[in-house]
Amino acid sequence: MSEDIIILKELTKIYKDGVEVKALDRVTLSIKAGEFVAIVGPSGSGKSTLLNMIGLLDTPTSGQIFLKGIDVSKTSASQRAHLRNKELGFVFQYHHLIPEFSALENVMIPLLIAGKSKQEARERATQLLDSVDLGDRLNNRPNQLSGGQNQRVAVARALANNPSIVIGDELTGNLDTKTSNLIYELLRELNRKINQTFILVTHDMGLAERTDRILRIVDGRLVCELRREGDGFVTSEVCDLGEDGGKI
Amino acid sequence: MFELAVARKHISSDPRMVLFALLSVSLSIGVIVIMMGMMEGYRGDIIKSTVENNPHLTVEPKEDEDYISLYRTLSGRLYSYPQVEAVSPRLLGKAGAKYKDKVRGVSIIGADPLSEDPLMRVQQDMTWGNYYDLVYKRRGAVVGTKLAEELKLRPGDQFSLVRQNQSMKVKVVGLIQTGTGSDQTLVYLPLKTAQELMNRSDVVSEIGARLSDINSAPAVAKDINSRTRYQAQSWEDQNRDILQVLDTQKTVMILFYFLIFIIAGLGVANTMIMTVTRRTREIGILMAMGARRLSIVKIFLAESIILAPPAAVLGCCLAYVTAKLIEAYPLEVSSDIYIVSRMTVLLTRESFIYAVLFSLSINFLAGLYPAYRASRLDPVEAIASE
Repeated sequence: MSEDIIILKELTKIYKDGVEVKALDRVTLSIKAGEFVAIVGPSGSGKSTLLNMIGLLDTPTSGQIFLKGIDVSKTSASQRAHLRNKELGFVFQYHHLIPEFSALENVMIPLLIAGKSKQEARERATQLLDSVDLGDRLNNRPNQLSGGQNQRVAVARALANNPSIVIGDELTGNLDTKTSNLIYELLRELNRKINQTFILVTHDMGLAERTDRILRIVDGRLVCELRREGDGFVTSEVCDLGEDGGKI
Repeated sequence: MFELAVARKHISSDPRMVLFALLSVSLSIGVIVIMMGMMEGYRGDIIKSTVENNPHLTVEPKEDEDYISLYRTLSGRLYSYPQVEAVSPRLLGKAGAKYKDKVRGVSIIGADPLSEDPLMRVQQDMTWGNYYDLVYKRRGAVVGTKLAEELKLRPGDQFSLVRQNQSMKVKVVGLIQTGTGSDQTLVYLPLKTAQELMNRSDVVSEIGARLSDINSAPAVAKDINSRTRYQAQSWEDQNRDILQVLDTQKTVMILFYFLIFIIAGLGVANTMIMTVTRRTREIGILMAMGARRLSIVKIFLAESIILAPPAAVLGCCLAYVTAKLIEAYPLEVSSDIYIVSRMTVLLTRESFIYAVLFSLSINFLAGLYPAYRASRLDPVEAIASE
């Protein structure tokens, strides 16, 4: 069995912006390398906060995060930046490409941040864009590409440094069914081929049901966990579905 | 260096912002260079006119005496210095000049044209007549142009010089224009005539000397002072006040440069803060992709500093063109106040070097705060911002 790549222990995040808001409440969770995980839950439930914690963009109020065995809460800002660059790939809801940069340049940035030469970065970025079927749009800027194409560029960018974990925040939220299927297939293939770990926050239950594991968050607490077993999902022992009528 | 690539991209994608930042720096650089050039030009003109219109070195009587009587011996002694090119014994004094119903106070210089002209280049400044006429015209006078104008004196006219109860009629044999305030008071007389007017025997009040190298004046003066009891002064000693005023003025100017510098810096900082605000989300994304805070600082600092060299070049061109225009349309100024009669702009290599240093430091300092602010953004909030 593969190792736990992410372990969260009693993770709590409290926002003190006037009123105190508990965005995450003692979340304990572990994710194995190569897992394809969906995080679902109503708006404002803390899904994105959890994702930002795993993505090392945000720091918890209390609790611990272990990434590949490293206690992240003990690392410096610059070490976290290094981990983000090497181990994590982000795909956002709105592709969030840099508008002035071409597709190729956008994919090159994480490679250049990692210290790769321009030549190396160009080759790798071209290859990645080829693999998302955009080999002929290298020099197009985001405003010259469709939503789906941009999201594919964003996926290519997230994969640039061959991260062990790819994080997606509503990455298909803005796409039509056909395009979002395409993106899903792309991620799924990578997951199978090179055992990359995928953690996606989504509203789209259709997408969630195609993953291996569904985590449901309500009011900052992990209330239910479903694991794929063959063709169906098995509920974990604790599954408090009471709060919003049992809907997933 | 991906930071530089990003900075360059920012610049090429926002020409309007670049233009404004560039203009504000180059304008201020231009103004500073021109101001420096005017200061330098003015300083140079003043020193030139001081050096040209005064002996480089003057030897005055011993402390307890009013006049130098052994001036021929002393002149010979001055000539023994290799730097000394010309020596002229001179009798200076004040008198009243009267012509018809007009009276003016004048400064008399009594000297022998044969020695005075090599010392002061009098003939060069003559607008009418010949200074050397004074060699044989004992009752002749060379008069400053402004003085002649005020007294309504014309060449050939006879006027009176009055001193105490002594009065003497002299004839205008020449007009002189030095371009300084002395044109209003200057009267050249033959040495003998001046001695007569001032009721003196064969004495002079000073001996002026011209040197081949004006910078050697203090050394020569010091040497004379150590060997004789006469009091020698270099042109710098004599014009200490003016030179001091120039130095004070320079300090005031530096304060102005500093203010202009700050104003330009605020302009750049403002543009940079706007850029950072506009690119907040991009900064968040770069952070998510693993850019360190230091990299973010580098991006925005580079973005600001890249603009410095073109701003310096533009500013220097601006200064150069303005200097040429000022030269083409000379600005007349009152020589009573400014000592010199026109404004010259002297652009030295140093001012251009300063310009480059100025713009580099303006852009560096002004970029520092916005860049720091960009690097302190919270990536989650930055990405969520619109």
